[in-house]
Amino acid sequence: MTAIRRIDGFAWLAAPALVYLGVLYAVPLALLLFKSLSTAGTFPSFAGYAEFFGDDFHLNILWRTLRVALLVTGLSLLVAYPTAFVLARARGVVQTIILVAMVLPLAVGVVVKTFAWSILFRSDGLLNKMLMGLGIADEPVRMLFTETALVIAAANIFLPFMVLPIYAVVRQLDPRLVEAAATLGATPLHAFFRVVVPLTLPGVVAGAAFVFSMAVSMYVIPSLIVGERSQTMAMLIARSYLFLRDEQLGSSMSAILLVIAVAVVLGSSALIRRLGGGRT
Amino acid sequence: MTAVEKAARLASWLVAATVVVFLLGPLVVTVVVSFTSSSIYTLPPPEWSLRWYASLSQKSGLAEAVWLSVQIALLSTALALVLGTTAAIAVVRGRFAGREAIATFAVSPLMMPGLVVGVALLQAFRAVGFRDAWTSLILAHVIITLPFVVRTLLAALERFDFTLIDAARTLGLSYPQAVLKVLMPGLAPAFLTSGLFAFLASMDNYPISIFLTDARNKTLPIKMLQYLEEQPDPTLAAISTGLIVLALIVLAVGSRSVGLNRMVH
Amino acid sequence: MAHLQVSGVVKRFGKQTVVDGLDFAVERGELVSLLGPSGCGKTTLLRMIAGLVHADEGGIALAGRELASVPSHRRNVSVVFQSYALFPHLSVRENVAFGLRARGVIASEAAARVDDVLALVRMQAFADGAVTQLSGGQQQRVAVARALVVQPDLLLLDEPFSALDRKLRETMQIELKSLLKARGMTAVFVTHDQDEALTVSDRIAVMNAGRIEQFTDPGTLYAKPATAFALDFVGLSTRLTGQVTQFESGRITVATATGELRANASFTRGSKVLLGVRPERIRIGAGGTEDNTLQVAITDVVPLGARTHLYARAADGDRLLCELPGTADMTETRPGDMVTLHWPMSDTLVYPATV
Repeated sequence: MTAIRRIDGFAWLAAPALVYLGVLYAVPLALLLFKSLSTAGTFPSFAGYAEFFGDDFHLNILWRTLRVALLVTGLSLLVAYPTAFVLARARGVVQTIILVAMVLPLAVGVVVKTFAWSILFRSDGLLNKMLMGLGIADEPVRMLFTETALVIAAANIFLPFMVLPIYAVVRQLDPRLVEAAATLGATPLHAFFRVVVPLTLPGVVAGAAFVFSMAVSMYVIPSLIVGERSQTMAMLIARSYLFLRDEQLGSSMSAILLVIAVAVVLGSSALIRRLGGGRT
Repeated sequence: MTAVEKAARLASWLVAATVVVFLLGPLVVTVVVSFTSSSIYTLPPPEWSLRWYASLSQKSGLAEAVWLSVQIALLSTALALVLGTTAAIAVVRGRFAGREAIATFAVSPLMMPGLVVGVALLQAFRAVGFRDAWTSLILAHVIITLPFVVRTLLAALERFDFTLIDAARTLGLSYPQAVLKVLMPGLAPAFLTSGLFAFLASMDNYPISIFLTDARNKTLPIKMLQYLEEQPDPTLAAISTGLIVLALIVLAVGSRSVGLNRMVH
Repeated sequence: MAHLQVSGVVKRFGKQTVVDGLDFAVERGELVSLLGPSGCGKTTLLRMIAGLVHADEGGIALAGRELASVPSHRRNVSVVFQSYALFPHLSVRENVAFGLRARGVIASEAAARVDDVLALVRMQAFADGAVTQLSGGQQQRVAVARALVVQPDLLLLDEPFSALDRKLRETMQIELKSLLKARGMTAVFVTHDQDEALTVSDRIAVMNAGRIEQFTDPGTLYAKPATAFALDFVGLSTRLTGQVTQFESGRITVATATGELRANASFTRGSKVLLGVRPERIRIGAGGTEDNTLQVAITDVVPLGARTHLYARAADGDRLLCELPGTADMTETRPGDMVTLHWPMSDTLVYPATV
């Protein structure tokens, strides 16, 4: 009745990392989720969630967070897609320049980049000077503390994370496939939408999932660009733990963000597998 | 090439050029601002000056913060390299069920809200009475750095030709020797690349760290945001410029030994 | 006017001239091969006809239409690529239907045509499956189906059998040939495999360094190769070098290191020539007055079942290959033995020696 299963020797190699992540990552998160479902000692209790969803202020913040994340993802995808193709086709110095442009911001870090953008967005900053110089604006446009600025800055900061996965897929695209499409009578447009786009989809999904999950949970960027006025979920979570000492609220919000993040991870990897992008 | 293709190509190049400008622009601006003589960020600077660099030594806690961040980055990266490599080997060479799940699990921290992971970790540590900030930070940063190692090593191992190890064994090396002399050197670029990115990710991390620091242990990003709140002057631009230079050096090292293209896969 | 007319086509890549002023004409319904070693320009020529590469000079006309300014997707020239280039994200049926969809053929008609052609290549059972699961031979059949269903004016095939293993190759070559003939399809194959060219083609164009050295039917190509290169590239041969000592009424006498040979050719006295013979024309023993006879030392005897190869060496190192039917009794023959070989003078092929 009991089958004798030979435990693959290699499985043991994975044990250290699994144990580590299990104890220090999965368990604490599970505990947090558990905590969010217990109010004043009773379990299960949805009081925390009820409190969160019952308040318009909170709902606004949730909606704003999601909206910003979607806009950031959309904007960076729009810009990243052609850039990935250009990068794949570039050689020599040009390729180096583009790669450096992708990797240097990553290497420099979020704090430095966001700080740099906050300088640019200032009323007396470079962007306003350019807009006025070009005659597009008569007086300094208020950029800091606007959602638009946040979306632009975040899309810019997360852009490499969108470009690189798409670039990885485009690089492996067999040019013969596009040639085959052409010889079969497909116009360049038809070939693009019916051959190139479907085959780059795994990269797009990976990049979008990455950027969306980072955008939904970003803290440093909104703190510096929009501040208290238009908070995001992450900012409110930080406040609730560090200043408001409202752990109930904090844990409910954390759980919500966690569920969103997990859904994105699972959904995107399932989608990528279905699209056949599982191999690299 | 048809007209449509030509137009599309031109448009793509324009977008890419704009992207490059917008990705590097803010960094250039920061460097320029760091040399301003005024205490506000106006551009162009009224006069060039090194005063903000000079004041770096006066900044309280800066040196300690830098040193702390470096320590944590080095130690957590080292640990991640060990844990991540073994896990990656298991996933690529093993034949057990759930391999892909393990890979996804190990890489997932990248997509989790850092803040939430930080809070969860803090509460877990508190629950078992563990209060040492320094160790907590290192343990937490392994979670951040591990995904970089696993991802890069998975790709490198999948590309590695394992018949080389068979060849080494038929030439007289034992299995452990073959692994040491053939596999490790073959993975060296992957170690370097993932180590560099892991190091930088740890240096840059704010969300997890904010919950685990205490009065005496503040990492660099936390210190920087503190400066920004207390005294927003171009000193921050000077610090940032320092980090930019560091990043450039790291990139130069990486591209010399591994090649920029290989660094991004 | 030929169905496909290539005139004076030149293609250069940097300093290299890859296709060097080619003229090439294919009649409607003909199956033609471009045969040559890698680097001879045959694939480049194919790609120019398909519209994937621009010719530097010269013209390409198909069914009377000049193609120079016509982009690839409007040429109605289908290509079967060496790697088949099947779309991995589409099923077999969707792959085959791709060209029809691109041309706006309505779904119902397209479906019917797809089913027809899938039946033709015997792949209906796999119609809804993934192309990535198919074997090499199956993928090739899908690629052919996809190329044919759009009813092209011309079909181009780039080494379509090179990825298949040997046993499968000849069967598929014959299958494909009868398929194309049945539809009256005009096709140009590109290959480096002479057996493939000989099996499949009505005419073969032997290509070398960007030029066509000979363009004729397989029989003539084999029996009367026009150049030393063609002699070498198609079939096996025995080659001997020597100098012309006499030339009289269309017959030359050539002094080689091993002996005197005669052939029907016109070369001035003193010219260096290369003589060639097909191995199966050589027989053991002394020949008659109209034969060439040589005494040579045997180096190897290779029994190949249906035939036996006898290798011998001439005095100056030239190697002779004699092919005997498998029934020949070679058990007494040892390497080192001297043997007399002869062959008809009229079977001797003569070329100017380049070295």
